[in-house]
Amino acid sequence: MKNWKMMFVVVLLVLSQILAACAPAATPTQEAAPSAATEAPAQPTAVPTATTPPEPVDITLWAQATVTEAGAPPDDWIAYQIIHDELNINLTYVIVPTGADGEAKMNAAAAANDLPDLMQMVPANEDRRGALYQMVNLGLLAPVEDLMPLMPERVKTHYNDQFAINLVTFNDHQYGFPEVPPLPKREGLVIRKDWLDKLSLAAPATTEELFNVAKAFTEQDPDGNGKNDTYGFGGFLNGPGFGTRFDFIFGAYGLPGVWNFTNPSNFGLNVRDEKYPEAVAYFKSLVDAKVIDPDWPTLTRDDFRARWKQGSFGIMWEDFAALTNKSNYTPFDENFPDAEWIPLPAPKGPDGDAYYGVFTGRGNIFAVSQKAADEGKGEAIARLLEWIATDGYYLLGFGQEGVNYVLDANGNISTEGIAKEKSWNSPEMQPFTQLRNQLIFYNSPTEIAARYPSYQTINGRTMEPTKFLDFFQNQPWVEGRGVQVILPPDNAADFNRFYDEGLIQFALGQKELNDETWAEYLAGLDALGGADYAASAKQALIDAGLLK
Amino acid sequence: MRVKTLTIPPEVRSTNRFDFRKLIRSMWRQRWLYFLMTPTLIYFAIFKYGPLWNAQIAFKDFKPLLGVMDSPWVGFKHFETFIHSFYFTDLMTNTLIFSVAKLVLGLPLAVICAIALHETWSVRFRTFVQTMIYLPHFLSWVIMFGVLLVILSPGNGLLNTIIERFGGEPIAFLTSPHYFRWVVILSDIWKETGWSTILYLAALLAISPDLYEAAAVDGATPLQRIWYISIPGILPVIVLVTLLRLGHILEAGFNQIFVLYSVPVYSVGDILDTWVYRQGILQFQFGLATAVGFFKGVIGLALILSANRLAKQLAQQGIY
Amino acid sequence: MLHSKTRDAVIFQIGLTIFLSLILLTILIPFWRVIVTAFIPLDIYTREGVPFLLPPTQWTLEAFKQLLGHSMFPRAAWNSVVITLLGTAISLALTVPLAYGLSTRNFPGRKLIMTLVLFTYLFSPGLIPVYLLITGMKLTNNYLAIILPPAVSVYNTLVMMSFFEGLPEELKDAARIDGANELQLLLYIILPLSKPILLTIGLFYAVYFWNEFFTPLLYLNDNNLMPLPVLLRNILISASFNEYVEYDAFSSASLESLKAAGVLITMIPMFLIYPWIQRYFTRGTLVGGVKE
Repeated sequence: MKNWKMMFVVVLLVLSQILAACAPAATPTQEAAPSAATEAPAQPTAVPTATTPPEPVDITLWAQATVTEAGAPPDDWIAYQIIHDELNINLTYVIVPTGADGEAKMNAAAAANDLPDLMQMVPANEDRRGALYQMVNLGLLAPVEDLMPLMPERVKTHYNDQFAINLVTFNDHQYGFPEVPPLPKREGLVIRKDWLDKLSLAAPATTEELFNVAKAFTEQDPDGNGKNDTYGFGGFLNGPGFGTRFDFIFGAYGLPGVWNFTNPSNFGLNVRDEKYPEAVAYFKSLVDAKVIDPDWPTLTRDDFRARWKQGSFGIMWEDFAALTNKSNYTPFDENFPDAEWIPLPAPKGPDGDAYYGVFTGRGNIFAVSQKAADEGKGEAIARLLEWIATDGYYLLGFGQEGVNYVLDANGNISTEGIAKEKSWNSPEMQPFTQLRNQLIFYNSPTEIAARYPSYQTINGRTMEPTKFLDFFQNQPWVEGRGVQVILPPDNAADFNRFYDEGLIQFALGQKELNDETWAEYLAGLDALGGADYAASAKQALIDAGLLK
Repeated sequence: MRVKTLTIPPEVRSTNRFDFRKLIRSMWRQRWLYFLMTPTLIYFAIFKYGPLWNAQIAFKDFKPLLGVMDSPWVGFKHFETFIHSFYFTDLMTNTLIFSVAKLVLGLPLAVICAIALHETWSVRFRTFVQTMIYLPHFLSWVIMFGVLLVILSPGNGLLNTIIERFGGEPIAFLTSPHYFRWVVILSDIWKETGWSTILYLAALLAISPDLYEAAAVDGATPLQRIWYISIPGILPVIVLVTLLRLGHILEAGFNQIFVLYSVPVYSVGDILDTWVYRQGILQFQFGLATAVGFFKGVIGLALILSANRLAKQLAQQGIY
Repeated sequence: MLHSKTRDAVIFQIGLTIFLSLILLTILIPFWRVIVTAFIPLDIYTREGVPFLLPPTQWTLEAFKQLLGHSMFPRAAWNSVVITLLGTAISLALTVPLAYGLSTRNFPGRKLIMTLVLFTYLFSPGLIPVYLLITGMKLTNNYLAIILPPAVSVYNTLVMMSFFEGLPEELKDAARIDGANELQLLLYIILPLSKPILLTIGLFYAVYFWNEFFTPLLYLNDNNLMPLPVLLRNILISASFNEYVEYDAFSSASLESLKAAGVLITMIPMFLIYPWIQRYFTRGTLVGGVKE
């Protein structure tokens, strides 16, 4: 009967898959039996022995992927082989998704006390030190200061910032490996030079000029296509309040970011400063005059990027690589070969203040689980990390020499003579260098030259991404790395919502902006514990020695 | 059409005292039934009640190193945090508005569509519509956001272009507290109605055609047919679905709202789940999310019990 | 089937057709846009975004090529098939007996079992308690972690129960008189008559497992085990985070196209299966059981 055949097939499928799924694949999910009990605070591993142990050590690494959509390196990746042969380590690299999914995975593993040996902190809100702190408090992580001497080269290139090390030190023990942050101060203001030229305008230097230029861009058809389809500004929300991408506006009033790092003696929430409502009013004027793309509160980063490539607006805040790097710029270039973006300095506010934004210096943090330390894997982890920084640097960062890249006379990375699909920056090769932003790169000049090379645009101009980078880095930024020691309040969701919602409502005109309503807003913040939050933030900074 | 009430077998009820032997006998008579259900009941014990046992962390300060059993009790602390939080009434209001609106507007539409399909003579047309109508169910909300942006954007959106052509002012549908709720409700109905009709259609097909033939012989109009045969025929399913949805009334569609909402519409769009997401997930607050789950369960239970009673009175249908 | 073509009936049909056509249009127009997005060439997209109407001559398969050519795609698709088939089979195998049992009108303990089942519907413990159970059972990195926790949906069970209750009691009595026990009754009489509901619930489960991305992401660590939705989700949300990446992994199709193409690819199996199922969705499937 048909039914029986169907059932038979189903049963077969069921059995086969149960067997397949249960059989340990390349993934060793079970670690070796835990060694003797730990004394709290846990003792890190013993001094390494001179001879490598006979059995390979299994190490599971949870880290994000540099290019999520490209997928993981294949099982026969040469790096796995080399790590096995030369380091006596069986490495399993599990890709942790970016964003909330990854955070959920990490949190769940933490709850089950089933953390991997070596892991990256992946909170969705980028507060990695906060996440580290929580996990340390739960007793899930092992101190690693004894591992640092085992990786001298790596410490030289990656862990050479005492400030960063202090950040991950709790109770006199270092609990994480603070990786080098991505290139600092890499975002900035840019403006369409061709639009300026068409309308015979000068690049704006003050907030007032900025407003006028934005107005012109919106109303005077700067792209000359006869349609009223352009805006002065474009942006999206990315961070607390108005986010980091509009911080230049508040910087023009001396108040970029959430906390007042510009005036340490007067540390507190920026919104308390009397100039803040003026800045909000300025932003509101942009919205009221309709010179900003009205989708700014709901746009995602993808949509935003699609729009500037479609020529929707003329002034924006963008990451230098996202703007100028060849693969990102090419679609725009094809659309508008005569267009040109130039960087814009921080506009001056009415009182002459000018800041691009707050430099927070957040970088990745890796940690070792207490379980791994108990099993004596610490030394192997250090060996692995050291190898990654030395012999493994090129392999994990760029690929194999002669196959994916060549070194030219100056020792720079080049793709001369390499087939297009084998070159290290081709889509096909992305799975092999997924760890590069996580553990490998440390902003060496070689890297920068390799990652952001100059090239020719369609109409023959030379585009040099590093020029934009230099420009941005030389703008006035507020030193705000101390923000990393500030822990969120207990009612973070409520406080943050009130903080953000109030500001956006003022900007959108949902609530009228005057002295009375502003005072109400501040009072509301206090009612939610704003004053206490600021006080504990200040204390945290003092304790970390960042404030007197 | 059956009257659905639980009737206690007369063998058990007849005597005033508990008749053990009669009970055993009647259980033995039904032994195959128990045999059939045993694997599933074991499954329930492990995979439904197992996690419920772990869910006691809603009343504890859960520490991974101590495990579920040894973590200290904190009683109702998580519940208090949640209920006394600043936005609690907002969140409850929004959650309920979304849930109830989606139910009240979406369910009847799905039923009507199912009936309409069922009544259509042309098999080709019916099949065609049936196959197309459920497709939006498969679109993820991330994609839908892009579509909605194109339609509703105040800059160059389709709707606003039309509005402007008629001399109106563009409306920021996605960021306006006045319109956001409608965007959410209508887009959800758009997406899910087709999928819901599948169930009602299957229910309609289970109605014996004899009834329809008898009605035709009696000269009934299509509307009479629908009112006297189709609807009563699928009433059990409708009531059941309604009751079940009421049991989950505090599930307002996290995936949808999370993608569609933004700061300007927090006041009308923030629901329980999005708040829990922002609060719980960010701070290793393992017990909080579980506590909210309990809370939802309690409310759902109260609703389902009262609705069940109401349904029994009005329509003689019910779960119990 | 003969319909009496009275004037009323015909007017009614016209009304129905108009109504259904309107619904269809409302559904299809935004949906059409998704389809166009999947096929739009990169240069047109960059220039003007996605227009509502695009002549098919300008369609391109780039987005699909890139997705289907992704090194992990075949593997991920196969994994999805396995998870879906396995999951649906297990789910149905567990759901049907319970639904049938509960549909039996009176037996000792029905109310108790119903209460226990309904309780789990209302009180869902959430992510962490389930995760703790799964790790406790050492089921991480195993498909069963994805399949077992959601295997029996109370909603589906009760709907199926409702259908079984709707079956004529005479049928069951006739079989019982003939000496059949409950198991034989279920297998040989009830199930063959319940094709519409079995297929419907089976479809519900299948769609659930086919589209599930979160639990695989959570429990699976081996990349070779990842199903299709995880792959697509990585594409869907990736660019929001790849701030510091200088190269796109996909260069000849826009991200929007890839997202749309990904969604369409996921839909294809359902699109193919449903018409096949529809064959069973014919009227009067129940007729013929009891002949007087």
